[in-house]
This record gives sequence, structure tokens and C-alpha cells, in this order.
Amino acid sequence: MGGENFTDMSKKNIQSSKNTMQSKIKKFFSGQTGFLFFMLAIPIINWLVFWLYVNLNSILLAFQRASGGWTLDNFVHFWQSLTIEGNEMNISVRNTFLYFSSNLLIIMPIALMISYFLFKRIKGYKVFRIIFYLPCILSPVVLTTVFKQTIKPWGPVGVLAQELGFDYPASGLLGQASTATLTIIIYTILVGFGSNMLIFSGAMSRIPNEVLESAKLEGCGPFREIISIILPLIWPTISSAIVLAMTGLFTASGPVLLLVDGFNETSTISYWIFNKVNGNGYGGGGQYNLVSAAGLCFTAVAIPVILFVRWIMDKVTDAEY
Amino acid sequence: MRIRKKEPEDVGLLFKRTKQEKLIFAFFFLLFAIYACVLIFPFIWLFLSSLKGGIEYELDNALKQAFALPDVAQFKNYFDAYSKLQYDGTNLWGMTFNSIWYTAVVTLEGVFFSSVTGYCLSKYNFKLKNLIYTIAVFSMTIPIVGTLGASFKLAADLHIYDSPLQPILSCAGGFGFNFLIMYGFFKNISWNYAEAVFVDGGSHFTAFFRVMLPLAKTPMMTLGIMSAINCWNDYTSVILFLPSYPTIAAGLYYVERELTRGYMPIYFAALFVSMLPIIIIFACFSDKIMKNFTMGGLKG
Repeated sequence: MGGENFTDMSKKNIQSSKNTMQSKIKKFFSGQTGFLFFMLAIPIINWLVFWLYVNLNSILLAFQRASGGWTLDNFVHFWQSLTIEGNEMNISVRNTFLYFSSNLLIIMPIALMISYFLFKRIKGYKVFRIIFYLPCILSPVVLTTVFKQTIKPWGPVGVLAQELGFDYPASGLLGQASTATLTIIIYTILVGFGSNMLIFSGAMSRIPNEVLESAKLEGCGPFREIISIILPLIWPTISSAIVLAMTGLFTASGPVLLLVDGFNETSTISYWIFNKVNGNGYGGGGQYNLVSAAGLCFTAVAIPVILFVRWIMDKVTDAEY
Repeated sequence: MRIRKKEPEDVGLLFKRTKQEKLIFAFFFLLFAIYACVLIFPFIWLFLSSLKGGIEYELDNALKQAFALPDVAQFKNYFDAYSKLQYDGTNLWGMTFNSIWYTAVVTLEGVFFSSVTGYCLSKYNFKLKNLIYTIAVFSMTIPIVGTLGASFKLAADLHIYDSPLQPILSCAGGFGFNFLIMYGFFKNISWNYAEAVFVDGGSHFTAFFRVMLPLAKTPMMTLGIMSAINCWNDYTSVILFLPSYPTIAAGLYYVERELTRGYMPIYFAALFVSMLPIIIIFACFSDKIMKNFTMGGLKG
């Protein structure tokens, strides 16, 4: 009898502790902590695995051999290939700086100018805005194929240039080292205004009309309007765009893979990394250690530069409106 | 007779121009028109070339007749594109199917998780909030170069290389540019909506899924359209991590490398078809994209 009572009591105790546990779990998940835990768990795990682990492992890989064991050989190899004139890494760095400079010094200022005239509703501004933005939404595979075909010696641009008496290379503009990189840079400029144009136009549209109207009443022309009113008022957007462009210091590139597969001295750092990792295709090339060492060196240079530029940008006072 | 009603801004002081200004605007109009032609002309050329016969195209090239129109429009090239072009056993139908699932997975996950992180970090106060926010901004603005090797190795170690699990797992993050947009949006939404749900006995989940998420429909849709366009056009991630699942962008890149003579017009037809979904999406939502896409200062 006593044994039965004891069993009943322990069963009841287990049942009540089960119920308490269940209500606690229910309370946890219906409360704020449970909600945050449930919602943020996947993004945080994803960040820990695909960002933090990848970055930490990349640092470790830089100091390891492919076969295992610690070494500084990757850095030695990287430094040698960087300092030998005409080496692929040497060419890649030079080309990357060319792409980076063309973005910062040509694409961004022209995009700003285009945005101004679209904002001021130049005739046909709605059509122009859509056409200028098209390269941003169309596939680079399509764009580069069309570009490649039109500039071949038998393509429309090639034929036109020869008709006009230009000395057009028989192998095409992409077929020789002296013109290939410049041609790809021109391509990136031609298709590169879209996103900056949209960002700058968005910022300009937030400028109060009253400010521009009163300037107009004072006799302010387009040049003065840009320099004295529009640029200071959209400065936060411009500075953000400059900081974002600076992040491309070592990653700026054109569609080298699609246009020339890195031949004719067109390689960039991004292409070099892609090529070393992908190798000949399926399964990758496996040169992760050298890529990680190079990446670590570039990142070590890029971070202080970006922080310095960001500091400078923050020093320039924003206009309030 | 219909009289066009002018928009109030059209007649405002802002858009009245002096003679000198009119000259400047006329000059820039001319420049813009030339640039627009430079962007449009290649696609007209692509379309016309896609209607040529294979031999006809090669002959025109040999004779340097780049501007020659097709003798007879070969619309069958568009059907041939689906049957004759293939890479590693995958034809254009297969590539389109891969593009659809890849775009859907990456876009839905990316927009949903950035909405989740944006909402949680902008509306709740908890211990790790500032740390998570700082890390999110830091990882976006600091350029870390050369981690591709480590990402590749991770995919191999997790056995998700060349598997649909790769985009499913790697895109379930909620940080980056989309996070900042959603964070800014939710920051400006009143907390009273959620409180009304709590008063009615609803939970935090009800507040988020039933009230806040529908309110964020517009920015989510804009980010979704942008993300979908990027995914549809993405070829490097597919070449690197999903070589057996070529999307239309990656597949056409592979096809071009193996293209034999006489197939160029069919390839051009395939390129033209591959652009259509994006052009249709853009035509339907261009206003949404153009109006909602703005960027403020990133000071964090």
C-alpha cells in the first residue's frame, strides 16, 4: 500500500515538475527573450560560421602549408611575385589601382553630374534615367558578350573605326596587352554610372525646394548651385559613397573573366583570387594558403586607409536641413 | 480636345531657365542622347544578329558587313536556343529552372533574415544589441580581401560544395546592406502598433509576423527586386560553388567557351531570352526601384 502511495506521489511530482517545465518553456518562448533567441539564432549562427570562422580560418591558412604545418612561405612567395616586374601579381595590383581610380575619379564625378541634370529635369529625363540604369540590371554575361562582339575587327565598332581610318588592331582591342586593360576600363566606365546615379538622385530629391528657389531668386546659376548648395546638402551621401568606393581599394575590377579570361595582362587582384581558388573548374584549384596570405597583406593595408578616409569624411561638417 | 494637365513642379520657378542655362541644358541633352544611343545600339545589333543564319553571320563577318540586316529573319534560332545549346547535359530549360530556384532561395532568405535582424535590433533593448549592431556595420565597411579560399574550404568541409544546401545555408544571414535599410525602416515605425497587439493578448511573434512585417512590405519588396536581379545575373558564386547547377548566367558563360562556328546567332537568341525576365521585372517595378533606392550617411 505504502509503496503504491509512494509511486503515486512521485508520479504526481514528476507530472507537476513536467508541467512547470512546460509552462516555463512556454513563457520563455512567448516572452521577449524567447522571441529574440528564436529570431536571432539563425542569423547569428550564420554570421559566426560564414563570416567569423571563415575570416579566422583565412588568417590561419595564410600561415599554413597546403599539406599541413606552419610556415611563412606563403608570404615570401606573395612578396616575390608582387615585386617582380611583369609578374601576374604585380600586374594584378597595377590593374586593380587603375579600376579603383577610374571609379573614384571618373565614374563618381560623372554620375554626380548626370544626377544633377536628371534632378533638374533635363528634357527626356525619365527615359534617360531608365536607359542609364539598364546596365545595372542586365546580366554582365550578356553585356560583355555584346561589347566583345561589337568591338571585334568585324563588329560594328571595329568596322566603323576602320572606315574612319583608325589603325585598328587585327586581333581586336582585347587581343593585345597594350589595349586590353584600357578597353575593359572604358567598358566599366560606360556601364558604371547607374547605381551611383540612383543614389545621388535620391539624395538630391530630398533637398527642400524652398532652398533651391531662394537661391534661384538670388540669381544663382547651375555651377554655383551645384558647388554651394547641392554638394554641401548631399555630402553625407557622397561621403558614404566615397567610403564604400574605398572598400574597393584592393577588390576593384572589371569583368576580366568574361571578357578575356585574364589574358593579355588584364588580371586584377579579384580575378587572381578567383582564378587561384577556382583553378580549372570543378573542385577548385586549392591554392587557398597563398590566396589567404595575399588577402591578409592587402587587408592590413586597406583597413587603416579606410579608417583614415572615414575619419576625414566625418571631419567635413554636414549641412543641416 | 484633351489638354495635358501640367504637374505643379513643371511650371515652378525651379524649372524656368535663362538663355544661358537653356544652352547648357541643350548641350548636355545632346551628350545624354549620344550616351543613350551607345547603350541601346548594341542590343539592337544583338537582336538583328540573333535573327541571322549561322553561315550568313560568319559570311557577314568575313566581309566586314557588321551593319547588314538578316536576309530572312530566322526566328527558329529562339527555339533552337532551347534545344541545341547545353552545358554538361543541362539545356536552357534546365538553366532557367536553376536560375529560378537559386534566385528564390537567396532573395527570400536574404530579405526575410535582414528584416528579422533589422526589427530585433531597432525595436528591442537587450545586452548584446550594441555589439551586434557594431559588428554588422563593421563587417560591411571593412574590406577583408582573400577569404574566398577559406569559404571554399568551409563549403568542402561541411560537404555543401556543389549542393543546393550551399546557398540555403550561406545566405541565411541577416546582416549587410539590406540590414541597414530594414533597421532604418523599423526604427521609424511606431512601437504603439506592437503594444496594441500585446494589449489584445498577442505575443511578440504575432506583433512581428502579423503587424510589423506587413507594414514593411514596400522596403522589403524593393530589396527583394534588387536582390532578385542580382541573383539572376550572378555567375561567379555559381561557377565557384555550384558547378553542377548552372544558372542561366553561369550556363551561358560556359556555353560561350565551347561554342562552335555557326552557332553564334543561336547563342545571341539565348542571350536575348535570358534578359527578358529582368526587363519585365524592371518594367513593372522601375518606379519602385527608382523612388525607394536612396542612401543616407553610414555613421555608426
